[in-house]
Amino acid sequence: MDILIPDNWLKDFLKTKASPKEIGKYLSLCGPSVERIIKSENGPVYSIEVTTNRVDSVGVYGIAREASAILPKFNIPAKLIPVIAKSKQKMTAKVSYLDVRVDSVLCPRFSAILIKNTKIGPSPLKIQQRLLDAGVRPINNIVDVSNYIMHELGQPMHTFDYDKIKNAKMILRLSKKGEMITTLDGASYKLPGGDIVIEDGSGELIDLPGIMGGLNSMVDKNTKNVLLFVQTYNPALIRRTSMKLAKRSEASSLFEKGLDPELVEPGIRRGIDLLVELTGGKPENQILDLYPHPYKTKIIKTAGSFLNHRLGIDIKTKKIKEILLSLGFKVSGKNDNISVAVPSFRSRDIDIGEDIVEEVARIYGYFNFPGQLMKGELPNTYLSTPFAFERKIKDTLKALGGVEIYTFSLVPQKDAGPGALKLKNPLGTETQYLRTSLLPSLVNAVEYNSGYKQPFHLYEIANVYLPRKAELPEEKMTLGGIFFEYEYRKAKGVVEKLLTELNIDFTLQIEDKSGFLPNGRVNIRSNNLQIGELGVLDNGFIYYEFLISNFIKVASPDRKIKSIPGYPAQIEDLTFTFPQKTRIGEVSKLITNNSKLIAKVELKDIYKDSYTFRVWYQHPSKTLTNSEVEKIREDFLLEIKNRFGVRPKV
Amino acid sequence: MVKLGGYINYMREEINNIKNGAIAQIMSAKDVAELDSIKTAYLGRKGKLNLIIKKLKDLPEDEKKQTGILINEAKDTLIEQIINKKNTFRESVRKWYDPTVPGIEPALGNQHLITQAIDEISAIFTQIGFVRVRYPEAEWDWFAFESLNMPPDHPARDEWETFFIETPSHPKYGKMVLTPHTSNGQIREMQRVGNPPAGGPPIRMINIAKCYRRQSDLTHSQMFHQFEGLVVDKDINITHLKGTIDYFAKKYYGEKAVSRIRPFHFQFTEPSFEVDFSCIHCHGRARLSNGQRCKFCKSGWHEVGGAGMVHPNVLRAGGINPNKYTGFAFGWGVERVRLLKSGTTINDVRNLYSSDLRLLTQY
Repeated sequence: MDILIPDNWLKDFLKTKASPKEIGKYLSLCGPSVERIIKSENGPVYSIEVTTNRVDSVGVYGIAREASAILPKFNIPAKLIPVIAKSKQKMTAKVSYLDVRVDSVLCPRFSAILIKNTKIGPSPLKIQQRLLDAGVRPINNIVDVSNYIMHELGQPMHTFDYDKIKNAKMILRLSKKGEMITTLDGASYKLPGGDIVIEDGSGELIDLPGIMGGLNSMVDKNTKNVLLFVQTYNPALIRRTSMKLAKRSEASSLFEKGLDPELVEPGIRRGIDLLVELTGGKPENQILDLYPHPYKTKIIKTAGSFLNHRLGIDIKTKKIKEILLSLGFKVSGKNDNISVAVPSFRSRDIDIGEDIVEEVARIYGYFNFPGQLMKGELPNTYLSTPFAFERKIKDTLKALGGVEIYTFSLVPQKDAGPGALKLKNPLGTETQYLRTSLLPSLVNAVEYNSGYKQPFHLYEIANVYLPRKAELPEEKMTLGGIFFEYEYRKAKGVVEKLLTELNIDFTLQIEDKSGFLPNGRVNIRSNNLQIGELGVLDNGFIYYEFLISNFIKVASPDRKIKSIPGYPAQIEDLTFTFPQKTRIGEVSKLITNNSKLIAKVELKDIYKDSYTFRVWYQHPSKTLTNSEVEKIREDFLLEIKNRFGVRPKV
Repeated sequence: MVKLGGYINYMREEINNIKNGAIAQIMSAKDVAELDSIKTAYLGRKGKLNLIIKKLKDLPEDEKKQTGILINEAKDTLIEQIINKKNTFRESVRKWYDPTVPGIEPALGNQHLITQAIDEISAIFTQIGFVRVRYPEAEWDWFAFESLNMPPDHPARDEWETFFIETPSHPKYGKMVLTPHTSNGQIREMQRVGNPPAGGPPIRMINIAKCYRRQSDLTHSQMFHQFEGLVVDKDINITHLKGTIDYFAKKYYGEKAVSRIRPFHFQFTEPSFEVDFSCIHCHGRARLSNGQRCKFCKSGWHEVGGAGMVHPNVLRAGGINPNKYTGFAFGWGVERVRLLKSGTTINDVRNLYSSDLRLLTQY
């Protein structure tokens, strides 16, 4: 929670000579984080982030309490000035002016007092300025008192127009499903059921406690008699209702974190004081206070040795005790043992020894801790992971001119693929589904760059999410790449080079698939496993995709390196003219596979309809003679003639 | 008084002598450099022919003119001779090369800035024995929240603007979410290490993965990357966390970088910290060496994310005995950490997910 604390208000409770800059700096190092110091007309204002566990620090007084513990550690004297109330009314469980029935599980502490003959008007300038500096719009003296004390003490309070409460009767209970209430901002709600509500003597709901008051009981310009209302509510119920109704208020965000019931008394006494001062009202002599289970001090048993083990430094027990005392804890215990009595305002966030570690460490100052790397045994690092392999792919693709992109895994329905998982609460329809393929994202990326002047190659390695029944989706790490204005042979060459570099032997198998040109796509297979695909899309872009897990399955970890051949190869070029629609890849494969003595075949040149192959003949243990080469050649030429019906043009 | 006619003859002779001397030198020149120095000696501003021009100033106009013509003829002759001679050196003219001519660059692709950052980050941590892992992005609520000491409806969950997936809940693990942080990896790693074939702690994990939050503005992208460190062993304490964070700061941002930790709160660590790194531009001083205010930071420091000592409840949820083992964890944004480095002026973090080649080809 971010709060604004005016410096002049803070000084009502904190006696110190520390400058605002020092207060900001030292609070941030040891306590709540002062994000900024804003300059207002009335002096500096601290913008402070208070963490969710420290609702006791949400307010001027709570910040003063932290500062009074922290500043002295920097040798700046600071003293907390306690909240002093003039109000002397007795607190009692029964009053004549209000008949209430309260379930203490819903409302652990319930207090109220009637203040008669109030005069509504504007608040004094000082209160208005402080509220403005704290980010609250002043309204009138009665409403302002509630807001003022909420910002001062962190205790929300509410004021009813007493005369609107039928029969001066209140029942605080759980709502039934479908009950209606209109809150004071004019919004109407059908309640989900199980919400804390208050009905009056007529049976009508008059308040949604802890969240917002009811319209029918609110203070207005004709209000004479005010019922001041200060409570502690069940935090989980407040949160549940405020989340379900999507109605968040400052009060609800305080109540849902669990407020200290001990804060109710100073809260209502401050309220009485201010209402008397500001409105001239006359309070009754008794405060209604239902508090069946007062706070019983929580004791945490810990030890100096435990604390120092977690801290990693040696702080003397005496020093530990000093720190805890400065924060409002009481300590006892002999020798190593430390017994910590937790004050009520910290009871919700201090439960175990580790919580005490934090209190000691932060006030001692984290900046005073040395740093060191771990000693001890290293973890077993033989876990097999894909990271080195992914890196090799990326390094290779970079060398081959590929540009890596990161696109969103969240895509619109049209790009999601059938059965894709859908978000319940997306930011928009463009990011509503978890993609099952990289292809649409890559096509979009190419189209985005269609004005680019040169051919380009984009690729991405990312998960796709394949739904499974009653399980998390299968997250498949996928490589997808796309070429724009690349010649097909060059694009295919990139993919071939990548596979070669990864030590993958592969074969191609033509298979049509929707989205690709007919006869324009191949499955890429290795070791009888389909590892990926390559093809020309309907729109002319060339696309390839592989599963990383398949790559890892089929790639040889080591490259086969042969010794240098002892005898020279015979090399010759052969030029063929083929009939239309001859697949040159198959010709090349045929020659390569025809004899073990053919070491390599390359398509060297294409000129009009003539294809020139360069063939390497190589025997491992001798130099091939011309007649031996001729025999091998005749062999595959015959095969070519049989299958493709051609002879070379020599 | 010398007769004028005689003076012209004298000048003509002198010009001829100079010209012939020059031609003799040009003929015997061996390379372009020598020709260039001959050219300077004769035709330069202070060359021999130009010096003669100065002697003409006392002559009557018509004789001045005639002599001038002679000089110009001589100059033209020499220039022609020099060019002719240079052309006989064609071979060596070709050997001359211009090292400033623009080169022809081979095509090289690019690796994304996030990839580079992930590689650097994992290298830094694996050097000190961390094991890199990657855990699910689509995750059960139990791993993302509940096992991290955040029961359903806990207000602390508000900090994580979580995406929910439309699918039936798991009977044990609850709703399916897109993980809003890499901390789901903490429990998963404890479970991995706690079960065969691994043999229990120590754990030194670095989990790098995509995360998602319902937030999109200049400093938040709804998809982003985090890296999560987790160390669990006997006798791990706050000084180890501090040492590890500082080690990272120095390795990633340079020797001068320092880190600091400040109090914070997370449900899954106790104590919890906010981690700051010193600004690389002003080294934590908030002022540059020229005395101006540093524009890159507010206070000399940049917040990078959270850290803390693993909460005993989390160790328990991961099947590790908190009385025997302690640990620390941290989780920071890859993008955030990278953009704090010098050299990038990307001021909208969402640009990292742009497909624009004008940006991608700079990485």
